[in-house]
Amino acid sequence: MTVSRPLVGWLYISPLMLVLIPFFVLPILVVMVASVFETDGFGGLIPTFTLANYRNVLTSALTFNLYYETVKFTVLTWFFTLVLGFFIAYFLVFHVRSPLLAIGLFLICTVPFWTSNIIRMISWIPLLGKEGLINSALLRLGLIHEPLTFLLYSSFAVVVAYVHQLTIFMIVPIFNSMARIDKRVVEAAVDAGASRLDIMRLIVVPLSKSGIALGSIFVASIVMGDFFVTKVMSGGSSASVVGAFYEDISVLQYPGAAASAIVLTVILLAMVSLILRTVDIRKEITQ
Amino acid sequence: MVSRGDIELAGLSKSYDGVHSVVHGINLKIPDGAYCCFLGPSGCGKTTILRMIAGHEDPTDGEIVIGGENVVGLAPVQRGTAMMFQSYALFPHLSVRDNIAFALRVRGMSKADRYRQTDAMIEKVRLTELAERLPAQLSGGQQQRVALARAAITEPRVLLLDEPLSALDEQLRVQMRLELQRMQRELGITFVHVTHSQLEAIALADMVVVMEAGQIKQAGPAREVYASPMDRYVAEFLGGQNVLSGKVETIEGGRLMFAQPDRMTLAAPLRGNLRVGIGDRIDVAVRRDDIELLRPNAAISPQNQSALSSRVLAIEYQGSFVKVMLDAIADEEFVAYVPERVFFKDPLSIGDVVLATWAIDHARLLERT
Amino acid sequence: MSAAQETAALAPARAKQRAISPSRGGRPWTFYVLAALFTFYVVALYGPMICIYILSFQDVRGGLVFPMKGLSLHWFIDLFTQVRTGDVKGAFDRSIKLAILVTVITVVVSFMAAMAFRRRFPGDNVVFSLMIGSLVAPGLVLGIGVGLLFNALGIDTSWYGSALGAQLSWTLPFGVLVMFAVMSRFNPAWEEAARDLGATPWQTIRLVIIPVLAPGLVAVALFGFTLSYDEFARTLQTAGPQNTLPLEIWSMTLNVTSPSLYALGTVTTIISFTIIGTALGAIVLMQKRRGARAGGH
Repeated sequence: MTVSRPLVGWLYISPLMLVLIPFFVLPILVVMVASVFETDGFGGLIPTFTLANYRNVLTSALTFNLYYETVKFTVLTWFFTLVLGFFIAYFLVFHVRSPLLAIGLFLICTVPFWTSNIIRMISWIPLLGKEGLINSALLRLGLIHEPLTFLLYSSFAVVVAYVHQLTIFMIVPIFNSMARIDKRVVEAAVDAGASRLDIMRLIVVPLSKSGIALGSIFVASIVMGDFFVTKVMSGGSSASVVGAFYEDISVLQYPGAAASAIVLTVILLAMVSLILRTVDIRKEITQ
Repeated sequence: MVSRGDIELAGLSKSYDGVHSVVHGINLKIPDGAYCCFLGPSGCGKTTILRMIAGHEDPTDGEIVIGGENVVGLAPVQRGTAMMFQSYALFPHLSVRDNIAFALRVRGMSKADRYRQTDAMIEKVRLTELAERLPAQLSGGQQQRVALARAAITEPRVLLLDEPLSALDEQLRVQMRLELQRMQRELGITFVHVTHSQLEAIALADMVVVMEAGQIKQAGPAREVYASPMDRYVAEFLGGQNVLSGKVETIEGGRLMFAQPDRMTLAAPLRGNLRVGIGDRIDVAVRRDDIELLRPNAAISPQNQSALSSRVLAIEYQGSFVKVMLDAIADEEFVAYVPERVFFKDPLSIGDVVLATWAIDHARLLERT
Repeated sequence: MSAAQETAALAPARAKQRAISPSRGGRPWTFYVLAALFTFYVVALYGPMICIYILSFQDVRGGLVFPMKGLSLHWFIDLFTQVRTGDVKGAFDRSIKLAILVTVITVVVSFMAAMAFRRRFPGDNVVFSLMIGSLVAPGLVLGIGVGLLFNALGIDTSWYGSALGAQLSWTLPFGVLVMFAVMSRFNPAWEEAARDLGATPWQTIRLVIIPVLAPGLVAVALFGFTLSYDEFARTLQTAGPQNTLPLEIWSMTLNVTSPSLYALGTVTTIISFTIIGTALGAIVLMQKRRGARAGGH
């Protein structure tokens, strides 16, 4: 070995750092700095050090409401994407016999994500709207007498849109974890007299923990960091933390927005490190 | 004049983080053109030594001299060695031909030239019809021949084999053993072969090196290591021996008497170079095929024979001989190999009481470590 | 194994009742339930978009909802000719170029980073945490941060500069994570064998590592392309004066209320499909040529 190992490691990692530092570390630092400045009311920043922005954010009732809404959507989305994602991955791994068919079905699930996010969002209108397909069908069948309004521009619609968009983020890591489970372990359990529920509870779930954790990280961070799905799908009746951030920015309230952004980022990072504590992702993925 | 492929290990050591020592100060000379087997259980350091000779690991201390030059610090390709990896490590995306030609390709040889040389080598290992196949389409034995050819094409002076036969089933293993022997004779180079199977080692090797916990216990020709083991560890690892221990009671007339706890006193001949005193704890080895089993009332001559009364615990038919396990020694195995025809003249059953006898001169005093 | 202990502890009678008997070739009832769930999911997944595709083929009388009025390519023409609908062609162009740039950079950098992570090196945990942080941080916040940073430094934001970097901060962590999974199937013995046979490190990478990992690299490329092509939040504040496609669509949804929006959806989908279909075809071809068992992950 001629070149020292740490040096080689650093050489290979440098391009990644070249991107992460200017486009992650520095922007976060900039936002952090902005959060302790004062605003001159016209979009300019007065360089001082003040914690007033944080005080405002952390004590305001608005903040509490925003987080309540956002966390509500996050938890609901996480729950439904987890259930859907888990059982679909389970179906693909354990019930589909031919590996070729499993990969094919898996691809079918990923295909919709090759289209634009935003297009997928507006595509709910012809389906869920008052004059949409579902309402028309239900009316025609006589099951309802008036169009259901809660289908679109409501909390229901927000969750539907999120679950539609993000289930794939659960399916992929869970599928990956499940596919690694040695089928002989399952056979041994069957041999010992375990029922299907036992096998799922005692073997499959524990062994897919890392996939579930990774999927949860993706889903939670995307929902908590999102701003337009909530706004559009609720018709403006619900707000989100980042949505409020976006609006503050639009009226040039940079320091306040920055403080709120930092608070959210800290919460997100805390949440993620909690999840990562339960499972060593790095070891699981690289095995 | 130093021959090209002879190997000398001097004070070779390897430890991790300065704490975990895997190989302790190995000294060994392997002559050019010898088939040398490193034998020992997992974790004894044999694979580490192999990898250090190959250049895939650096020693913490000591020298490795091949053909007269110290190769420590040199890259594998500069040492004139080639390694055959455990589970072969054939490149999955390359055909048999491209796998074997790989070494020539990285040296910049033109396609025509390297394919010519490769095809000659493919002939030698008799894989001509399979030259276009991918490794996934080959059987275990075929893969091994590809791995061998791939290593041998670089014309190394030493070929290093890391447990080449452990992935194969029994029948194939026996076949491939002959193949390895044949290749070694044809190529005429030094082979260093690491294994945990004693049968394999004694079948193939000119020199067997028995290792335990990072140290060499005994190195020598196969017959020497099997029939004249130096100590209890080597005797037990190579198999084929029963080891009795006890305290020396008397020494006279070229023999010593030793007593086992709660057992009869037994005799063993002295060995010239081993000094023993009364009261010393000693180990004595008796070959399993030297033990004759007699019915309890048989006549023996106490001057020349030892005898232990024991009960038959288990009987295993092994084809040309029958393995009989006895309870002669408390808590330890005592086994007799009885020739098949002899056994079936008067077959024993489990629970029978027999007299295990052997010629006193066949007992061998072992070194105490 | 505690799982085995637990299952063994079940009362024998109960266990016998619930034990799975070897199938006589038929499917357990759970298969049908799960298959139904899967079908429902796929229908729900494709349903909304298919509505859009159908509705985009309406004629000039068409509205945003069913029932469908007529059948024509009117709105497609409207999309590409009407100035008021914005610079769709330009946005298309930029999005594709940006996505290709992001894809290439993501593949190369993810590959290198995953190679680095195979062994421990000082600071590797820090780098890993930064990577996860970049993945998790709200896109809009980072976008604003980048915008502010560039303003402070006096550099103009642009789709090929600041937006490129912002998108990479999102695609690289994904790429590295996928490469981790891909590399875990790579046998380090192959590398050692190459070294033993005399290959230089570069030759080893070129002749052994990359060819073996090729399907995984294509998967990373796919990820990179998709994530970039669709990226919105981080690009919003960093693209500068010229929009990428998602930004263009966004402004259209705020201003336009005609099926030309749906036509746009159909067209962008066709383009994505073509590109990704080609990539997948490449993977399949590579696997076939390698003679590997089809369907092996």
